[in-house]
Amino acid sequence: MTPSSPAQPLEQTLFRLRVRYAKRGRLAYLGHLEVIHTIDRAIRRAGLPFAVTQGFSPHMRVGFSSALPVGTSSSCEWFDLFLTELVPAPEALERLKRATAADLAPDQAGYVEVRRLALTAEIGRIGYRVELLAAPGVAADAPAISSALEEVRAAGAIPYRRGKKEKVLDLDRSLAAAAVAQAGAAVVLDLDTRADNDGSLRPEILIAALDRSLRGSDEPIVSTGIQDLAAFERYRVERTFQGIEDDAGALTDPLGAPGPTCGEVVIAS
Amino acid sequence: MTRAVYRDRFDEIEPLLGRVEKPSRYIDHEWGTASKAEASLRCCLIYPDVYEVGLPNQGIAILYRILNAQEGISCERGYLPWVDMADEMRAAGVPLLSLEGAAPVASFDIVGFHIPHEMAATNYLEALDLADIPLHASDRGEDDPIVIAGGPSVYNPEPLAPFIDAFLIGEGEESIVEVCRAHERLRDAGASREEILRGLARVSGTYVPALYEVRHGEGATEHGYTVPRAGEDVPARVLKRVVADFGATDALTQSIVPYAQLVHDRLSIEVLRGCARGCRFCQAGITYRPVRERTPDQVVSAVARGLAETGYDEVSLTSLSTTDHSRCRQILRRLNRGLEGTGASVSIPSQRLDSFGVDMALEVAGDKKGGLTFAPEAGSQRLRDVINKNVTEEDLDRAAKAAFEAGWNRMKLYFMMGLPGETDEDVVAIARLADHVLELGRSVVPRARRGSISVSVSVSVFIPKSHTPFQWCAQLDYDEVRRRQKLLVSSVENRAVRVHYHDASTSLIEAVLSRMGRDAAPLIEGAWRRGQRFDAWSEQFSLERWEEAAAELGLDLIKIAHTPYELDARLPWEHVSPGVSAGFLKREYRRALEGKTTADCTFTSCTGCGICQALFVDNVLVGDRA
Repeated sequence: MTPSSPAQPLEQTLFRLRVRYAKRGRLAYLGHLEVIHTIDRAIRRAGLPFAVTQGFSPHMRVGFSSALPVGTSSSCEWFDLFLTELVPAPEALERLKRATAADLAPDQAGYVEVRRLALTAEIGRIGYRVELLAAPGVAADAPAISSALEEVRAAGAIPYRRGKKEKVLDLDRSLAAAAVAQAGAAVVLDLDTRADNDGSLRPEILIAALDRSLRGSDEPIVSTGIQDLAAFERYRVERTFQGIEDDAGALTDPLGAPGPTCGEVVIAS
Repeated sequence: MTRAVYRDRFDEIEPLLGRVEKPSRYIDHEWGTASKAEASLRCCLIYPDVYEVGLPNQGIAILYRILNAQEGISCERGYLPWVDMADEMRAAGVPLLSLEGAAPVASFDIVGFHIPHEMAATNYLEALDLADIPLHASDRGEDDPIVIAGGPSVYNPEPLAPFIDAFLIGEGEESIVEVCRAHERLRDAGASREEILRGLARVSGTYVPALYEVRHGEGATEHGYTVPRAGEDVPARVLKRVVADFGATDALTQSIVPYAQLVHDRLSIEVLRGCARGCRFCQAGITYRPVRERTPDQVVSAVARGLAETGYDEVSLTSLSTTDHSRCRQILRRLNRGLEGTGASVSIPSQRLDSFGVDMALEVAGDKKGGLTFAPEAGSQRLRDVINKNVTEEDLDRAAKAAFEAGWNRMKLYFMMGLPGETDEDVVAIARLADHVLELGRSVVPRARRGSISVSVSVSVFIPKSHTPFQWCAQLDYDEVRRRQKLLVSSVENRAVRVHYHDASTSLIEAVLSRMGRDAAPLIEGAWRRGQRFDAWSEQFSLERWEEAAAELGLDLIKIAHTPYELDARLPWEHVSPGVSAGFLKREYRRALEGKTTADCTFTSCTGCGICQALFVDNVLVGDRA
């Protein structure tokens, strides 16, 4: 080994800091790669002793929870950052906060076992809150959306296209529960979804299916990020919790706190 | 008409974001923005292209930082929305907004355009139209912003003259503050728009086109020449501004860190300004003189501060010729030592074509050796002497050999086609040179690497630029460009040599806009009215629209590009000046025809370009160049 390449720290000398952060306001329009890139810059500005991968193109050792589509906000995104020195979690959190734009600000941090599974492998339950505003002249109040949802669920699966590929969203497997409620002019739809290696539920696909059902249309659904829908003038999607389910079905958040910890999701279908 | 109201209108563009590509172009809120909520003078600096092209621009970064450091002045940024967003905004009735405040651009006191090159011409009109600001300066009223412009490509301002209230010629660090303060003072004193413009014209380096007129005849080219209007107390020749003490300016000019991943996504530190190598086709080589270097201490400390403030993991040491810095090796070594173990890296934008250039590339390359780029510009020694590219066949051989031996497999070579006096032999020489470099590479590397050696040749079309020794030259005939491009491709013998060349029709328009006077303005407007915008993007460029606009005006684009100017003709751009003497340019032109080269004054002694004397400045080197 040449003196210019420092010894790679052994795995056991690394520390794995797990951080929860938000994605909201205008920054909801960032793509997943833009978020990753931005947090990389923030970690460097925070001056934390991050570990670097070895090899041809060394980069920061950091892993993120699953991608959030452009336009979707969240109160509970996560990343795992590997550090070469132990920085007390409250101090690390404070330094990250100071180096991050408010709309992506971290609000929780704690150390977890270095050898744990990646966040994307651990997180099996994801909650979304969808706000739907009907287009003028379209009857899309809570009862109408409830029955549209029943119809879509009864079909069990939603066929859609992504690029040139024909795909199917399996609702029987991915949609655990849903609740519909009227909130002024808007309708709020809370979704409790399952994510695993075979895929996860993209709320946009479900909303597009509701749009087709409300209009009695069989127009094909194309997954293109933010949907341009006829039945809804506007919709907003927020990720409200990400949880880890143990074998007994108990739910904790990625830092071990019991139950859904962000948003107040009442699951009832 | 009253002034548009300065207020946040983001809620009007937000519904459009879901329908356009890359919404992060329009959301602002980046790290490091510096504008102010309250200000007595508001300035919006606009780059005439999309966000990701404009954001890395160092000129705007410098002025943004300087203006926001001024008491009472707030500076925001603007970019041109891509065609999808521009169409959505027009359909929704939303005007062009600034980025930071999401406020109408028309509500600012001063709107400043960066002028990066000729091919942005239609984009100023697109931006003004989207902003709801009258396109013509003469149609603007008391409540409209003052539209200023500056940047590298202001040295023939006439094609844009009717659209711009005031051009800032040369380096803007000091003059933009003077212009803003003069505007503020006159506005507060209740001066009319006309009085304000006359006041701005008194700031040194400012060219206010409305106070000048175009004349014809008297030995001028058919595009006329520009002189002060009778009774206007303005300079007949507006000299560029220069920051005399460049070393006293802060080397860290960047503050904003974008969300989007850009092509040039890194910290840039300008290590020196100006280049005196004297390539005769090069406008920047004249307009950025004199040469001024920063000290190694200044560069090293700015890099450390910049990386910590921005979080970037790469720093680029920028200038027209970074490896010419007299302390280049020392700077690179100190930076490499300082950045060890941080995962951050240093890059230099281009390599000098000799073994020192390869040495420096090696300093920054680390384990990554992608491609190495050299610019011989011409294929034969004869033509390299004509253009004063002081590089010999031996320099190139040594550089290529050193690079292949050091581990690079891919070599990229830049050339120009249509240089004055170019013959078929010179074109074939490009192919010979590329084949030769490839064979050289194969002969010096181990057998196992031989198959990986490749050479790519990129050939642009020579465009005669104002204030260069070739400013009188015509562009090579359009059909002839295409014939020579074919000749080049058919002359390359080796399949591992790939040839790319620039589109002849884009180059034709660039030449037309470089050579015409104020008579180009209706042409630009005609092309824009036919839907032309983003001409620098090949998929948006349409020669047909330009031809239609020209036909309507009775202009023959090919004739305009291909008619040389007389050496003693009055030229459309001689009322603005980078300080170079006319005698020097003519002498250099004659030496070119004789194939005589001229030395670089930072390596030898003064070669008489006249810039230091005209502007009362000097080259500032922090060591001896070698």
